[in-house]
Amino acid sequence: MLASVSSAVVVGVEGHGVRVEVHVAGGLPSFSVVGLPDASCREARDRVRAAVLSAGFRFPPERITVNLAPTDLRKHGPCLDLPIALALLVASGQLDADPLVGTGFLGELGLDGSVRPVVGALPLAEVLGSGPLVVPLRNLDEVRLVAPGARGAATLRGVAECLQGESPWPDPEPRRSIGAGGVVGESSAERPSVDLADVQGHPLGRLAIEVAAAGGHHTLLVGPPGAGKTMLAERLVGLLPDLTDQEALEVARVHSAAGPTRPGGPVSDAPAVLSRRPPFRSPHHTASVVALVGGGSRTLRPGEISLATSGVLFMDELGEFPAAHLDALRQPLESGVVDVVRASVSARLPARFLLVGATNPCPCGFAPDPRCRCSPAQIQRYVRRLSGPVLDRFDLRVRIERPDPESLFGGGAAVESTGDVRPRVLGARQVAAGRGVRCNRMLRGDALERHAPLHPDAVDLLRDRVDRGTLSVRGAQRVRAVALTLIDLAGGSPPIGVDDLLLAEHLRIGDVTGGAAP
Amino acid sequence: MNPAGPSHRPAGAGLPDAAYLATMAGLDLVGPATLRRLASLGDPAATWELIRTGRVPESVCAARAVAPRSQVERWRRQSETVDPESAWIRLRHLGIGVVALGGDGYPRMLLDDPDPPAVLFTLGDPAVLDQPCVAVVGTRKSTGYGRGVAHDLGRELAAVGVCVVSGLALGIDAAAHAGACEGGAPPAAVVGAGLDRPCPGANLALARRVAALGLVCSEVPPGTRAQPWRFPVRNRVVASLASVVVVVESARTGGSMSTVDHAVARDRTVLAVPGPVGNPASEGCNALIAEGAGVCTGVGDVLAALGLSGLVRATPEDRRETPGGDAATVLDALCWRPESVEFLARETRLDLRAVVRGLDWLERHGWVRRTGGFVQRAAAPPGGPPWSP
Repeated sequence: MLASVSSAVVVGVEGHGVRVEVHVAGGLPSFSVVGLPDASCREARDRVRAAVLSAGFRFPPERITVNLAPTDLRKHGPCLDLPIALALLVASGQLDADPLVGTGFLGELGLDGSVRPVVGALPLAEVLGSGPLVVPLRNLDEVRLVAPGARGAATLRGVAECLQGESPWPDPEPRRSIGAGGVVGESSAERPSVDLADVQGHPLGRLAIEVAAAGGHHTLLVGPPGAGKTMLAERLVGLLPDLTDQEALEVARVHSAAGPTRPGGPVSDAPAVLSRRPPFRSPHHTASVVALVGGGSRTLRPGEISLATSGVLFMDELGEFPAAHLDALRQPLESGVVDVVRASVSARLPARFLLVGATNPCPCGFAPDPRCRCSPAQIQRYVRRLSGPVLDRFDLRVRIERPDPESLFGGGAAVESTGDVRPRVLGARQVAAGRGVRCNRMLRGDALERHAPLHPDAVDLLRDRVDRGTLSVRGAQRVRAVALTLIDLAGGSPPIGVDDLLLAEHLRIGDVTGGAAP
Repeated sequence: MNPAGPSHRPAGAGLPDAAYLATMAGLDLVGPATLRRLASLGDPAATWELIRTGRVPESVCAARAVAPRSQVERWRRQSETVDPESAWIRLRHLGIGVVALGGDGYPRMLLDDPDPPAVLFTLGDPAVLDQPCVAVVGTRKSTGYGRGVAHDLGRELAAVGVCVVSGLALGIDAAAHAGACEGGAPPAAVVGAGLDRPCPGANLALARRVAALGLVCSEVPPGTRAQPWRFPVRNRVVASLASVVVVVESARTGGSMSTVDHAVARDRTVLAVPGPVGNPASEGCNALIAEGAGVCTGVGDVLAALGLSGLVRATPEDRRETPGGDAATVLDALCWRPESVEFLARETRLDLRAVVRGLDWLERHGWVRRTGGFVQRAAAPPGGPPWSP
């Protein structure tokens, strides 16, 4: 007997439809899987056999062939367990074929016949979305974002009974309410646990992250250890506007495809919950290039830059990242996507992130203070990785000094909290949206010329800087974009005056060593 | 490799003496003293023949850990792999000249040195050393203050025709050379490595400029790498060439202190630039002043020490425009060490915009210098525009 069931596998952050065909016929008893399965997929044989028996069904002592079509696509992961088992039951005459027609199935099977959640349920459901869908119960919340009619499955036996109409489909209470447009409406009041009010002092650092959030400007924080660079970077994400429906879905898709095992990612119990908050990713500098940009030998997984899409990618100790890592970021920084290509598969992954780097000015961290004990050669070696093209990507390059003890202990003058600053950021983003871009960083060439007119004095100032060589022509344009963000934040309107330009210039220091490198 | 040259060709086939000395300078365990003893044996071509045949008198060898016999044997083995003629052609190809002690073009200042170099490899014109020479030296681990002073000194000394001598190291040396290149008179550099790679990579462009305008010289042949022990040896040449040695910034035990020791041994005048108390880069200078070295607060002090006081211009009046308003407040809050803009905002209780605006005015009018987010007061310019680092 022959039976076939639709399912899907995930490549990159996209699902690809797969047809599971099972043929059961006489011959020496055997169970083989063909159609380019990888190891985790081929192991389905043993899981399916045990699950079928545990669920109280008969495992046919015949020659069983499973084919996964299309056969030129490499199948990875255990999400085909459930469809294989169901097709087997149909092919061996234990289940009626009709209810399965046109229904997509996803799920990993346990040896006890339970249905376990799968990685990438969201993109998988998207590709199967046209018809009815049965997914693991624990994936139901995320799948319903794109397929409201999806059914949940807890056990193989349960699925079989529900399909035959012997019992109703389980209909658990959604863990989160589903808002308009099919997106889980998470309250935007749900803030990260860190708040700008915790940061005492740092007027320049606070200004920098406010400008970064408002204008989407990539930011490099330079300063001695313990100055508060990480603290500031963590608070930047709280200033960013909530994600739009589309962005939230994209973020959920990437996180769903990356799976539950990634550090900082969703835990296995609640895979890929949809959140309105932009993600914050902070890869360690020992991460591999593949972990950073995505890829992998057997399957294409999104990397940290994709997981940070629509959010913040924080690279602490930027100078410790190998040069190859930093170079790999250049193309995604420009285009907002990363194309990962392997011999057999390729995928386009989203990578539209706000890059925040933090670095010490020298190996010991104290340059140019007399406390610095690094040799000039050491300092040069340290900052060489950050020179040129890499440094050029940062519109904001700010020196973060240790705050003076007075501001820490001396009564602590009231400082603005995230809630105070955020409305300004949102206002500035709205102004930018009126210019037809997501944020001012996106303004280039003509658009910048049109939307950021300069006061005649400001033109003279920029010309002077370019003549003296303290700013490149490109640098001058970036300073101009930052000055526009400063105006937007202050609620003003162009033309850009000298004051804004001077402040923007100071937010873009040229020498990260503070003059310590000769 | 078969050295076809030395074994089959009669020695001294038209090669100048300097070619043999240059080759000998590249042998193992040959320092200035040994090379002078080798040169004193007579005709260099004949001496090379002695080396090649292992018949060098043991008296030539320095009393050191290596036994004279094995040293002579080592030279003999080494001489099989080098050929004075091809080495000479290579020097010519690189544009490197060789002046030998007692020969033409040898710097006069070195003639009465107790430990003169037997040969000097030169890029550029050795005659620039006939001008009065002033060494401007200091630490690699310099501050913006020190580099500013060194740059100004270099420029102003060169402007009155003094040859500024230094070592092409990072920091003070480089700033002094860069200033001297702007000043007018040809500068000179004495380096510790071979002239094919005379200095750290960051200074190579500067080295080419110094060589083009003046002279870069070395005691060791091309191909010799910079080794730590060579720098004190090189420093003695710097001290010897100069009539006055100015130490701009130095730690208490810095390499510049060895230049000072050599200068004192040779009866040269030593001046030190005073620096901020507590700055490690100025500890050596301040200690020198305490020990009785002359104080250098500007080009006038150096020229006075040279006996060229007639060239000293009257101290120019500070013609910078007096700041007013916020700029004045900001300048008042600023000391002579680098400070952050946040510090200034805190001290002056002005907002960041006002501070940055004030700083821009001050910078344009030559009151402050800014680098990498830090601000520092600048001294009154001696005339002409303020230089930017």
